[in-house]
Amino acid sequence: MTISAETRDQLRELAARYPKSRSALLPMLHLVQSVDDEVTSEGINVCAEILGITSAEVTAVATFYTMYKRKPVGKHHIGVCTNTLCGLLGGDAVYSALSERLGIGHNEPSADGQFWLEHIECQAACTHAPVMTVDWEYMDDVTPASAVAVVDRLARGEQVESTRGPVIRDFQATEHTLAFPLDGLVNDGVAVDAKMLVGLRLANERGMSAASIPAGDA
Amino acid sequence: MTITSDAGSDLTPQVEMVTVVVDGVAIEIPKGTLVIRAAELLGIEIPRFCDHPLLEPVAACRMCLVDIEGVPKPQPACAQVVSEGMQVRTQLTSPVARDAQEGVMEFLLLNHPLDCPVCDKGGECPLQNQAMTAGRPESRFDEVKRTFPKPINVSAQILLDRERCVSCARCTRFAEQIAGDPMLELLERGANQQVGTAVDQPFDSYFSGNTVQICPVGALTSAAYRFRSRPFDLVSVPTTCEHCASGCSLRTDHRRGTVTRRLAWDEPAVNEEWNCDKGRFAFTYQEQGRVTTPLIREDGQLRVASWPEALDFAARGLSAASSHGVLVGGRSTVEDSYAYARFARVALKTDNIDFRVRDSSDEEAQFLRSAVAGTAVRTTYETLEQAPVVLLIAFEPEDESPIVFLRLRKAARGGTRVYAVGPVATRGLAKLSGTLIPAKPGAEPAVLAELAEQVRAELQAPGAVIMVGERIAGIQGGATAVLQLAQATGAALTWVPRRAGERGALDAGALAGLLPGGRPLTEDSARAAVAAAWGVDSLPATVGLAGAELLAAARDGAIGALITGGVELGDLADQSLGRAGLEAAGFVVALENHHSAITELADVVFPVAVVTEKAGTFMNWEGRPRPFAQTFKDALVMSDAVVLGMLAKAMNIAVGASDVAGIRQELGALGAWTGPRAERPNVPAGPVAEGAHLVATWRALIDNGVMQEGEPYLAATAHLVAATVSATTAGALGNPESVTVTGPLGSVTVPLEIGAVIDGVVCLPLNSPGCVLYRDLGVRSGQAVTIKGAL
Ligand code: SF4
Ligand code: SF4
Ligand code: FES
Ligand code: FES
Repeated sequence: MTISAETRDQLRELAARYPKSRSALLPMLHLVQSVDDEVTSEGINVCAEILGITSAEVTAVATFYTMYKRKPVGKHHIGVCTNTLCGLLGGDAVYSALSERLGIGHNEPSADGQFWLEHIECQAACTHAPVMTVDWEYMDDVTPASAVAVVDRLARGEQVESTRGPVIRDFQATEHTLAFPLDGLVNDGVAVDAKMLVGLRLANERGMSAASIPAGDA
Repeated sequence: MTITSDAGSDLTPQVEMVTVVVDGVAIEIPKGTLVIRAAELLGIEIPRFCDHPLLEPVAACRMCLVDIEGVPKPQPACAQVVSEGMQVRTQLTSPVARDAQEGVMEFLLLNHPLDCPVCDKGGECPLQNQAMTAGRPESRFDEVKRTFPKPINVSAQILLDRERCVSCARCTRFAEQIAGDPMLELLERGANQQVGTAVDQPFDSYFSGNTVQICPVGALTSAAYRFRSRPFDLVSVPTTCEHCASGCSLRTDHRRGTVTRRLAWDEPAVNEEWNCDKGRFAFTYQEQGRVTTPLIREDGQLRVASWPEALDFAARGLSAASSHGVLVGGRSTVEDSYAYARFARVALKTDNIDFRVRDSSDEEAQFLRSAVAGTAVRTTYETLEQAPVVLLIAFEPEDESPIVFLRLRKAARGGTRVYAVGPVATRGLAKLSGTLIPAKPGAEPAVLAELAEQVRAELQAPGAVIMVGERIAGIQGGATAVLQLAQATGAALTWVPRRAGERGALDAGALAGLLPGGRPLTEDSARAAVAAAWGVDSLPATVGLAGAELLAAARDGAIGALITGGVELGDLADQSLGRAGLEAAGFVVALENHHSAITELADVVFPVAVVTEKAGTFMNWEGRPRPFAQTFKDALVMSDAVVLGMLAKAMNIAVGASDVAGIRQELGALGAWTGPRAERPNVPAGPVAEGAHLVATWRALIDNGVMQEGEPYLAATAHLVAATVSATTAGALGNPESVTVTGPLGSVTVPLEIGAVIDGVVCLPLNSPGCVLYRDLGVRSGQAVTIKGAL
């Protein structure tokens, strides 16, 4: 696909939001991934042109951050957290089950272009470990079987919801949200649930608080 | 350290000194100095890869770790600044530092291929050397190393072996900070981190070769030199670049009578440690297409002749003629130009001489005689760097004097404001954060006269500089307007010619009306002094013919004999005039190192030396002499000066010294002129041409120049040859992909580019592949052409 005139306008709109326009590069690259399911060379060149920097500078950014992909992701991005906590609580098994179900390994697209699988780092959702993400929406407390079931339902085209509420759309739609977060979806689903607040509740009940930082010990 | 020069403030910098101790030795140094520099001052060498004194610190390689008292972990000496009382211990006195360095070296070597035996850098490699001095004797790594397909092209010229890279970011910092061409970047992350370019945008920087030189390993190599030799087999000679008036110090490496490579040499006052790719890579011309013996014309054909025969033939031809002219091509050394200047006045008794065998004007000659020749050095690279404001006219530094460009960029990064008067805000101007003062080609004098009050005021600040290129000759009233502006504002005016020999030729007196040292020929005392030095009773007293007038006189049969030295017909805007002049001149003696259109027209051809075969001096735009030694000591080819000396002898005329030392002595004894100077030009501005599309043009640094022949990799990094117009102009043409541009002599078809060009102007390279304006179109800057979308 080529970057349309409309997308160019949106890219310019992002660039105009910052005092130093090149600060807009991160959302712009997400926008590129929302029209193509990857950061294409064309997308890199258009960003460079709009920001008045070189394509090499854009490439450096696009290859540094792992959320930018240089080959087509396909319809859905599947992430499995395999950091310490999730890994120990079953994340590694979830990853293996998905890898077997999809026939692909880390950072690979499935042959039918439907899925992309990735080991991901801690999503700050350890409370609900092990955690899986679908198009960067949380699937909390998964098991190998529930994770494969999610993929099966997506493969059949059924509607799937995140365990926190929002309906799963697709990778490109999420990328659009990452470029323009104020799309009205921010209050879909829950941000904080009781399980996340257990520690805080216990601390309050027992009158615990963190020690204050001694002055001068930077 | 930068000395700030705020108007009116005390210029002496207030430097706060601190005392630090390195390995038990105390030293007092300016606050803010890096630890690695402090150690250097004490003769203590800390190993390093990413550190480079001309690049901003990044502490990327971690090789320079040292132990600083009171700091828990070893610190990078290349990024740590000294503070009062700091106690630094290097690998020489601290086991902690030594351990840290050994650890870093071990890491750096984990994935390094250790292919030193086939690596260009082997023998002069900081990694090789420092692995010996700062590494463990044995590697403990027995895993599989990371490999990459090798090498990849980051440009046609520059190759990258990624597995050799130590990710020091010298190349990428050079590209961004020094050249302003951040087309080379560190890509990917972690173990995959690697240098690279965007997929479809090679590292076509005019300065790309410097990255090969500063890469501390053999990761970056040049296609031209890769696998050519080992550094320890080479003989190195310090030389001066012959390509432009920047005057870079170079190092020429040779082996078995052949130049294998050229490097930028360290000359803080001129090129710092950089040069451009033309100076680095364009030297194969020295060996190709050479004239090897004297030639004389017999029955219309050139034939090989012995030196005595050819000298006799030339001497008789010259003596028989009653009027003469001398043309010197702008690439001669000071010594050779002086020999031509002296030969013209003493042996040929003529003042018909010019070094400007290119677009020139009488106004320009007056400007050069009155305001440039033999003047004391006022603007230098250093003052440029300190200048509050620099105004550029008829001058595109990146193409026409690349090291001036780099210094201007350094200045601009330090706060110097740059203005350019002209029709196009070039990429080069953008890299100088410069501002365009728009002027249609030909309208520059009017624009200068009406310069905004604010710019005028800025130019009145102490240290302000006006730089004018040799293209001012093509703008009627240009030199006059520039002189007036300089006078009115007090800004220092400096002339930056393109070719390496022009400034020296001017000061040597190779221009009608001018004797060595800027002496006006019309001043009796000047003439008398020079006549005495040259051992003759008198010198021609009337100003001779120069430029187009000299050629026109030759065409009209008024010049009996011409001597040419390093002349290229293609340099002339009016090539038919040049050709007609040479054809009509009764007798032509050519001193040339290469066969060319000139040797085809000459009656006698003498082979002369290229820069590697002689010693000499180029005078750069600053007026700074840049002497160089003979690279090939046993070369048998003679310099122009020696050949002219023999020719004079054959004519039974004594002309004085012909050797470099003797000529330098003669010139030195004459010294510079301090008496009254020639009249300044006073030429009204010319009309701006009529027409929908006026041409703006200059020579690209990398183009069809004859001294770039035989270097295909260099040629492949040239900038895109295109017609650049404004968006409005392009729209009016229907936004075609390519356009056909037509002038009186014909057309060229080139891609159309949209750029920051003023409406109604088309910007074209003057002498690039597929676009040779003088020959193909017959137009020069400021003339009208027609443009049509190409099919
Ligand atoms: S290619 Fe050379 S200069 Fe560039 S980062 Fe690697 S080692 Fe450093
Ligand atoms: S800038 Fe000029 S003098 Fe320096 S290397 Fe390039 S061509 Fe030679
Ligand atoms: S470790 Fe998996 S979300 Fe924190
Ligand atoms: S030289 Fe200091 S970190 Fe590289």
